[in-house]
Amino acid sequence: MADQSEANRLQQETAFQKILRRPEIGSFVVMIIIIAALAIASDGKAFNPLGLKNNIAIIAQYGIIATGAAVLMIAGEFDLSIGSMIGFAGMSMAMMLKWGLPFGLGEATPAAAFFITLAMTLGIGWVIGMIVVRSGLSSFIVTLAFLFFLRGVTEVCFRLINQSTQISGLQDFKLESWFADIMGGEVFGWFYDIWFALGGNLNRNGEQWVHGFDARFFWWIVIAGVSYFVLSRTQIGNWIYATGDNKEAARANGVPVDKVKVGLFMFTAFCATMFAACQVYDTNTSDAAKGNLMELFAIAIAVVGGTLMTGGFGSILGVVFGAITVGLVANAVFFIPAIDGAWFRVFLGGILLAAVFANERIRKRITGGI
Amino acid sequence: MAEPYLRVENLVKRFGPFTALGGVDLEVFPGEVHCLLGDNGAGKSTLIKTLAGVHQPTEGKIYIEGKPVTFRSPRDASAAGIGTVYQDLALNPLMSVTRNFFMGRELTGPLGSLRMNEMNKIAHDEMLKIGIDFSDPTQAVGTMSGGQRQTLAIARAIYFGAKVILDEPTSALGQRQQMGVLKTIKRVRARGDIAIIFITHNEIHSRLVGDRYTFLALGKTIGAGTATEIGDKEMRRLMSGGAEMGDLKAELDAI
Repeated sequence: MADQSEANRLQQETAFQKILRRPEIGSFVVMIIIIAALAIASDGKAFNPLGLKNNIAIIAQYGIIATGAAVLMIAGEFDLSIGSMIGFAGMSMAMMLKWGLPFGLGEATPAAAFFITLAMTLGIGWVIGMIVVRSGLSSFIVTLAFLFFLRGVTEVCFRLINQSTQISGLQDFKLESWFADIMGGEVFGWFYDIWFALGGNLNRNGEQWVHGFDARFFWWIVIAGVSYFVLSRTQIGNWIYATGDNKEAARANGVPVDKVKVGLFMFTAFCATMFAACQVYDTNTSDAAKGNLMELFAIAIAVVGGTLMTGGFGSILGVVFGAITVGLVANAVFFIPAIDGAWFRVFLGGILLAAVFANERIRKRITGGI
Repeated sequence: MAEPYLRVENLVKRFGPFTALGGVDLEVFPGEVHCLLGDNGAGKSTLIKTLAGVHQPTEGKIYIEGKPVTFRSPRDASAAGIGTVYQDLALNPLMSVTRNFFMGRELTGPLGSLRMNEMNKIAHDEMLKIGIDFSDPTQAVGTMSGGQRQTLAIARAIYFGAKVILDEPTSALGQRQQMGVLKTIKRVRARGDIAIIFITHNEIHSRLVGDRYTFLALGKTIGAGTATEIGDKEMRRLMSGGAEMGDLKAELDAI
């Protein structure tokens, strides 16, 4: 039959060919090269106990927001307000910790400061999403407006209430609050304990050197893991892909396109808030400039990880590889003092461009060259 | 004769001052292919969109199994068993066959997880029933031909309970793919319980698959009947909007 022979024209591939065709393959190869290059150039220092901890800290930071940006991009929208949202959320939490709850409701516990802030950021995410779906305007321009708006609000609040655009010298909440500890404390201590037991991980006095990763490593794993599961294995994941691919087709088949989009704008706001919470409870400081440019890093990492700019296609695993790559390069200057830190941006621009071309090829291959 | 599954009586649709449909009658029986014929602008698409619940009729009635119905949205129409296969087919090219098949109506297990194996099997079996044996339902729809996409869209509509398929294939299909569409229609007809409304302006195609014809011109029904009732000559006359070939020749000669 004509139809059958046509179906049979699809080439059967070996398992290895299938792996080569996966969208993550590009970012995976780049990641391996960077890990190897950094290990050699830094004389192994980048992956000694402290180096690993510091690298993972920045990778996890990037990973958290890049996951949010990538899932939203798969649904066909952008969020440029992520960076300002980080600043806003950090300001909100630190301000409550220093000056107490709003309306004179007394002292703020770390948990109360976090959840009140989260309620506000989710609310802002909802507003952004509603404006985008109701008006039909480009999310690029709507979230650009919120980039300025939220950064401005953050600075104004700092100056009005705090008389300074920084908060520092807060007490270390991790010591008494378990909530502050799960946000800003240390996790996976067993990893370094085993390393120590095996005879490594020693400082100059021969004691255990590093005791755990930053908590944001744990939150990155949770956020990326849940996103991976939802995206690839659930009904909502199917709706997210459908929304980003062809919105009208999705709508005609009963996919609640608008709800999906609004929900994902709230998800990027959630990721930004987690980013800020990990930072605030780790360092017990906040600053009006926190999170600056982070929205662009998030989008760049999502693209490096194989997410299509036009939506409908992308992989969380690729974003994980992208975050590792970009995080390692961002930190490389600390391990290889000979190089200028600005090379990081040169590199990022280069792989971003390469990734866009690679992704476009993938899209063309899938859609049959249209 | 059996009762028609879908009956349309004196359907009028006006868009402001413009009358798109000026009183159309239609009877559609299960297991039959009903060809809706007419020139561009005759009102075929408006009629289909009204039946699909996209437009609300200005006047006239739609009956399903003898009972009058009102469609306020495409959802109402599909609940009443009217499935539409649009020209763009409402498919997502970057997604897999299975994911498209179940788009918006996924089978879910705990935590909203997809029952992927079951869905793959259903998508494969349903498409096989109307003639495409897809070895890999995880392949992206973007790699499929136009005719295969058409089959996917029809199989999906049937699986989700459509009793009447409104099929308006894109005219941008190649000769072979058009044959594929006709084959699919034949196979759906062979099931015996599904009615197909096939919108075309190709006389030969409608002859090949049609059981019953309705001709539209300028928003009105200008002729209707079964395949045996309407001869080739009558068909040609009705296709050209009710004019005789001789009239057309005279019209051309006058230039």
